[in-house]
Amino acid sequence: MIHGSPRFRYTLMAVAVIAALAAASPAWAWWLDPVTPVAHEVRTLFIKALALTGGFFILAEILLLVAVLRFRARPGVPAATFHDNLRLEILWTAIPAITLVILAGPTFTTLKYMETVPKSDLTVEVIGHQWFWEYRYPEYGVVFANEPLVVPQGKIVAADVSSIDVVHSWFVADFGVKMDANPGRVNHTWFQVERTGTFRGQCAELCGVLHGDMHIEVRVVTPEEFERWIEQKKRGA
Amino acid sequence: MNAGTMSGGPHAQSMTGAHRKPRTGISKWLFTTDHKLIGVMYIWLGFFFFAVGGLFALLLRTQLAGPGLQVLNPELYNQLMSLHGTFMIFFFTIPILAGLGNYIVPIQIGARDMAFPRVNAVSFWLLIPAGLMMISSMFLQGGAAAGGWTSYPPLSDRQYSPGPGVDLWILGLHLAGLSSILGAINFVVTVTNLRAPGMTLWKLPMFCWTVLITQCIILFATPVLAGALTMLLTDRLFGTAFFLPSAGGDPVLWQHLFWFYSHPAVYIMVLPGMGMISQVLPVFASKRLFGYKGLVLSTAGIGFIGFLVWGHHMFSTGLDPSLRFFFSLASMVIAVPTGVKIWSWIATIWGGSLRFRTPMLYAIGFVALFVIGGATGVWLALVPFDVQVHDTYFVVAHLHYVLFGGSLMAIFAGLYYWFPKISGRLYNEKLGQAHFWLTFVGMNITFMPMHFVGILGMPRRIYTYPAQYTSWNQVATLGSYVLGVGMLLFFVNMLWSLWKGRRAPEDPWKHVDATTTLEWTVTSPPPAENFATLPVIR
Repeated sequence: MIHGSPRFRYTLMAVAVIAALAAASPAWAWWLDPVTPVAHEVRTLFIKALALTGGFFILAEILLLVAVLRFRARPGVPAATFHDNLRLEILWTAIPAITLVILAGPTFTTLKYMETVPKSDLTVEVIGHQWFWEYRYPEYGVVFANEPLVVPQGKIVAADVSSIDVVHSWFVADFGVKMDANPGRVNHTWFQVERTGTFRGQCAELCGVLHGDMHIEVRVVTPEEFERWIEQKKRGA
Repeated sequence: MNAGTMSGGPHAQSMTGAHRKPRTGISKWLFTTDHKLIGVMYIWLGFFFFAVGGLFALLLRTQLAGPGLQVLNPELYNQLMSLHGTFMIFFFTIPILAGLGNYIVPIQIGARDMAFPRVNAVSFWLLIPAGLMMISSMFLQGGAAAGGWTSYPPLSDRQYSPGPGVDLWILGLHLAGLSSILGAINFVVTVTNLRAPGMTLWKLPMFCWTVLITQCIILFATPVLAGALTMLLTDRLFGTAFFLPSAGGDPVLWQHLFWFYSHPAVYIMVLPGMGMISQVLPVFASKRLFGYKGLVLSTAGIGFIGFLVWGHHMFSTGLDPSLRFFFSLASMVIAVPTGVKIWSWIATIWGGSLRFRTPMLYAIGFVALFVIGGATGVWLALVPFDVQVHDTYFVVAHLHYVLFGGSLMAIFAGLYYWFPKISGRLYNEKLGQAHFWLTFVGMNITFMPMHFVGILGMPRRIYTYPAQYTSWNQVATLGSYVLGVGMLLFFVNMLWSLWKGRRAPEDPWKHVDATTTLEWTVTSPPPAENFATLPVIR
């Protein structure tokens, strides 16, 4: 027979292990350090969702735990006999429903924000291949593959994402950008990186044998450095 | 066939006396139309594929125990990953629920058999060639299908998957789907027509309600999958181009059709489990189920809304934003009836007199874990957050909290609960409880870290990963071994108890009047045709 206390100890142990591992984990990337306006918005929305749904989650788990600890069968103590309560049932239908309506608001505004590609400073075409990425800068006539994408810091970059063969997905977590690369279609997304650095991602849609090796690297450089780099590329370096 | 009558007909009478020694002859199993024997065969088949799919999962987790390991090569990794999903969904969860439904539902409604016993046998036996096709494809040139259980074209088209693996995968799913559809017709007709006198719909046990609603979902959803599979097959073999962009087709069409089936499929796998939980919790709390009508209505609600949310699997596909907002809202709405269930279950055990036997532990474990899967499900309904974590390990974590923490925990709850009834023997309670704790703890060690690596940006379905994800993956792999040990205990317990377990009385759980159902009024196992005289429900 399992009694309440070992169950409680197990729970405590599990919580302690998870907390220790969480503390030891690497930086939480976009979650702690978003680098684009969209990533900021996504994080804000996620925090709102956590706050609004977290209460229900914690309440349910606590009530469950209390019930398990409190209502163990004891000789001479009969079970209660209640089996419905209309007011309670209306309440636990209505309150979550209202909460979700509240959550729908920021979801819609964030969706609209990330979906509306603003007037861009630079367009890049991202084309998925089995198993590498091709990048084109149509405004500069520059095309290359298997090299990092280079974009200027602070500029709005519009990305037109497509594929030459199977479905891929261009995914850089720090940017809050994931866009499927469908053959026969062009999808539009955008990002504006706030600081320089190298950001990594990888293909997010199973695309065959070497799906796991289809990495993405984006180098974000100052606008001046970008001009120098693109001139060099145009000359065919 | 005497569809509308209560009698099982001559084929069932020929079974009389055979039920007590089911192993006396192979032909008893081969030619049976007895819903109980068919149910038992479904359960065996389910656990065979559970073991195979589970071993695949352990191999996948071993490959992922560190970055750059070479336990499996990428080709094999993708095949085992695809078959793991396919087996667990189509050859374990769905059949085993059909098996438990087959065994229990006719008895619970006071019937002597299913409405169409021969069709019932056909439904089961279709799964054997289906499973053989899946397994044999691994040994043919090019290996098994390797496009995941979702098999998106163009990757699954002939140009990118040239071997016979995908063709066999399609044909195997076709047979499994046909089996499901035939079974669905059978269940719906059985529950609507063969209820004992006085068994009105509002007296139907919760498990029967959830099976009825689930089978309606199968009836509406599975033919759509069959259509999509046929289109994919003709694309591959006969030169059509439904999904081929080079000839004017559209791969996104597959995604719509596939998810139109596969999201409702989640409820096909979860709702009967919720029915079993709604049955087990009251029994071991010695207290009537709280909010019976609310639970029935919320089940129907989930079943209906489940058809309006498939687009949430496609938020990064490039769908129109207003369409995405609709799918987002509809997906959030699912949380309301799900919440009704969770609160009702907590209210059911509140104030009860709880006995923590293995089925009860699994039922409580189900509620605890399903709440986690439900919460992450709400987050995933929010398009911007979903886009961020779509196709990462976050989704893998979410779906395992729903299907492992949900469906599988419920299946174990139901299986331990009905084991004495089905086998006529008692299982070992200590081993059962050890199995529960290893499963509950191992499950969390395995799948909780996947939330974190997913949020960090680790995509799913990759055979190796960048070094920054190592620590969490090691934890997950460790957890999967804990699960493996737990499942070993489960199989040992079940097989040993089948062979040497103590004989089970009619009602080993000592149901109180408020929680008992008809199967506990007959012997364990029940006699052929279940009832000497049909029960009358007052």
